Amino acid sequence: MRERGFEAASFQREVWNAVARGESGLLHAGTGSGKTYAVWLGVLEAFAPIAKSRGLRVLWVTPMRALAADTLRTLACATEELCPAWEVGARTGDTTSTERARQSKHLPEVLVTTPESLTLLLARDDSRALFFALDAVIVDEWHELLSNKRGVQTQLALARLRRFSPRVLTWGLSATLGDVELARDALLGVGERGTIVTDATPKPMRIDTLVPEKIERFPWGGHLGLRQLAGVVREIEAASTTLVFCNVRSAAELWYRALLAERPEWAGRIALHHGSMHQSERDFVERSLKEGSLRAVVCTSSLDLGVDFLPVERVLQIGSPKGVARLLQRAGRSGHAPGRVSRATLVPTNALEIVEAAAVRRGVAAGRVESSRVPKKPFDVLVQHVVTCALGGGFRVDELFDEVRTTHAYRDLSRPEFDWVVAFATNGGNSLEAYPEHHRLIRDEEMMLRVATPALARRHRMSIGTIVADAMIRVQMLRGRRLGSIEEAFVSMLRQGDTFLFSGRELELVRIHEMTAWVRAAKKGAPAVPRWNGSRMAFSEDLAECMFDVLGDAGRGLFVEPEMQAVRPLLELQQRWSALPTARSLVLEQIRTREGHHLFCYPFAGRIAHIGLSALFAHRVTRGVPGTFSISVNDYGFELLSAEPVDWKARVEQGLFATENLFEDVIASLKGAQLALRRFREIARIAGLVFSGFPGQPKSARQLQASSSLFFEVFQKYDPSNLLLSQAERESLDQELEIGRLGAILDRMRVQTLVMCTPPRPTPFAFPLLVGRLRERFSNEEVSQRVQRMLLDLERVAASEEGVRVS
Amino acid sequence: MNEIAVELSGEEVLLSSDRALYWPRERKLFVADAHFGKAAAFRARGVPVPHGTTEDNFARLDTLLVRFTPRALVFLGDFLHARESRGERMTAALSAWRARHPLLDVLLIRGNHDARAGDPPAELRFVTLNAPHVEGPFEYCHHSGERERGYGIVGHLHPSFVLQGRARQSVRLPCFWMRKTHVVLPAFGAFTGTMAIERESGDRVFLAARERIFEA
Repeated sequence: MRERGFEAASFQREVWNAVARGESGLLHAGTGSGKTYAVWLGVLEAFAPIAKSRGLRVLWVTPMRALAADTLRTLACATEELCPAWEVGARTGDTTSTERARQSKHLPEVLVTTPESLTLLLARDDSRALFFALDAVIVDEWHELLSNKRGVQTQLALARLRRFSPRVLTWGLSATLGDVELARDALLGVGERGTIVTDATPKPMRIDTLVPEKIERFPWGGHLGLRQLAGVVREIEAASTTLVFCNVRSAAELWYRALLAERPEWAGRIALHHGSMHQSERDFVERSLKEGSLRAVVCTSSLDLGVDFLPVERVLQIGSPKGVARLLQRAGRSGHAPGRVSRATLVPTNALEIVEAAAVRRGVAAGRVESSRVPKKPFDVLVQHVVTCALGGGFRVDELFDEVRTTHAYRDLSRPEFDWVVAFATNGGNSLEAYPEHHRLIRDEEMMLRVATPALARRHRMSIGTIVADAMIRVQMLRGRRLGSIEEAFVSMLRQGDTFLFSGRELELVRIHEMTAWVRAAKKGAPAVPRWNGSRMAFSEDLAECMFDVLGDAGRGLFVEPEMQAVRPLLELQQRWSALPTARSLVLEQIRTREGHHLFCYPFAGRIAHIGLSALFAHRVTRGVPGTFSISVNDYGFELLSAEPVDWKARVEQGLFATENLFEDVIASLKGAQLALRRFREIARIAGLVFSGFPGQPKSARQLQASSSLFFEVFQKYDPSNLLLSQAERESLDQELEIGRLGAILDRMRVQTLVMCTPPRPTPFAFPLLVGRLRERFSNEEVSQRVQRMLLDLERVAASEEGVRVS
Repeated sequence: MNEIAVELSGEEVLLSSDRALYWPRERKLFVADAHFGKAAAFRARGVPVPHGTTEDNFARLDTLLVRFTPRALVFLGDFLHARESRGERMTAALSAWRARHPLLDVLLIRGNHDARAGDPPAELRFVTLNAPHVEGPFEYCHHSGERERGYGIVGHLHPSFVLQGRARQSVRLPCFWMRKTHVVLPAFGAFTGTMAIERESGDRVFLAARERIFEA
């Protein structure tokens, strides 16, 4: 390697040494720093010389199919040089059937695969023999899997591999992480210490903010930041290739069209990329990006990960990245090679996002990266795994229990819980059922549990995996090509003849037939903007802390960053009319308008926690009489509006912020059951209750389909102790309501200094909440008219005050 | 359980909150889409479904029979769910139920599921017919497309209606969908899904909320 001008970095040597000593571990380094080589050369050196047994020696697990081809090339190149006897192959959802057939005779020594394809190998009857000679397994982009159910699936697969080949080494590769120990523990499982290697050389990175010339004092997101269009065009012109990240697909659609309208000559040189576009269109964009033939791509989180695009020089982030880790990840998509600089620019879409920009840059500077949360014993994934193990040569209950307990996710699994899971996988948990013809799993003569019939086995193989998408509907031109797919929930809101933006086009809905929305090009006119569910990104706790930090400075008259200098007039106005919310002071604003009595509160806990918090307050004040309050939330705070005045000060003294009965009050205030139902959709699919069907399956098969909501209903009614139901409730509390965060926020509120203000009119912080509430009630035109009127009034007052002060 | 009286083609009928229609003058009780043996069919394919839905179906059917004491019971199609629904246990349960109501005339209008599942076992003594079956002003059908001239009493759709409440809360309830030419009954089976309908002008929609029936 050295002859080829390759100088090893110190972290790479550390990894090689650890592998040589036979240790497992986690390599934690920024993007584009040479992680792949670090581990790969170590593995080659350690294992290539040992006996030339045929068969699988090293597994390389990558979270993305698209990455597999690239990784394969990189690994093959080094392997050819250092260990020509080894064959390197890939096995993913994209692998051709001829290649699969060839592999099933004899697997290559090195196999690049995904968690799903790995699980499929574990579901083979000969899985034990397949992995018998395994020396090492490497999990790439572990940070991407860590906090989701795919990661849990991977943990279970790793535990299985360790059983089949006890000497196997496990290495994880991960980008910047908040909690490295947790990532290592989840990867290596219980009882294995492992090494952590960190690349200490910081990735050179420059992040700045595109601060607009004119800043409104009353921020609202009505124009989606398009006022910054000219600046964005300039930034794109200044770089060879730029990725423009938007937080939601609708914004990406809008920005793409706006850029084209501004620079028509860019047609064909800029492209759009998001998750509901058709795979072939996305592939085309990615290829062009790699070749450097595109000037810019407007994208969503769809390009957060994936193959490296060396030509990308710049990253623009439209709106707030909502978290430090996400910004780092996106910034790292530019200058992606050792030694090159990552260059990102934040493009705030309203004045408060300028504050956020300053905050997130402080977060980056302080290395304040969010920690991940690892799912705790999800029963749906375990039900699936149990059937997988039954297929993969069968299992004995005691042995599998011990094995599963070695994973981080299931370290607290109790024996009764595991027995329930096995019983559920066997016959739905009906322990008294005496009808063995309905059993999914049966015991063979060696007391191994196996899958009962080939039909059941086929069905299970088809439903392996934990990625559950929203119900999607295909979008197709009347005579012509497929454009991609769109959330069913969105399409079902449209009527025939409605116009919407999709895939960069204005489309008119002609009809919906059998999961396809047939469309044609729309006549010119005002297009409706598509809405997508679930694309709102959570506002991180660490970013919230950074927000308090910059606001605290502002409160002391310190405006450090250029962003803060730019928003100084807004913050001073906020202070003049009310107060600045900080870590120490909780600001409650009460305003009286023609609409009624408003309370504004700014805990900076993110939209999700604010929904819970506002509903909780409403519930505690009214003791369950619904409909008393109108509620509006954003990432910074919430508004409660009532017809009658509320003595909030007295309420606070009576324990409005108490954490006693938090759980019960939140469930009561938010219809907990409905939220749980939403989570159950995913759970039902993973646990194998709902089956998306074989491709090309005849219609009669639908007689054996039922929706997850129907299952939810019958389980609630006829099997209420089902553990999948309690999992749904737990997941909805943790993820949809962030109950943990709610408790922490309440704890803080109780010790914060309460600042009660009665500003004469809505403050800069209150204004976006006011607008947000109007939006839910009125049409777009009505809202924008009303907002313009309010803005004029508020600006007039603010300006006249300043006039008075000056004179 | 309660019911609402409505007039269909000059005849008074009762819509029951327990998802059945009763025609007092002819003492006939109508039930659509019972889907007996659906849970068993799922289990046979390895999908775990809890027990109790069949018992629930029988219990509700018996309650209706006690309340209205009809002369005849009409299943408007989809009585059995699938081939796999004809297992020993299901057949035994059906026979036991039939033995409790020996004098009841039972009519089944074949539906799409019955076509695959096959006619009910002979010992149940059902009269099984193809749609439409004409009686008085009415035509009994599985789905509305089979209706010819009379007013249709039909099933098939599993209709439900989404009731919008305050604060963007909504509840979805099975419903009777009364239209100009026919009425669609809610699905009777305990393990059946529903399809949300869109009310058009002239339609009447009655929500069957187990305890209570009310017009939307």
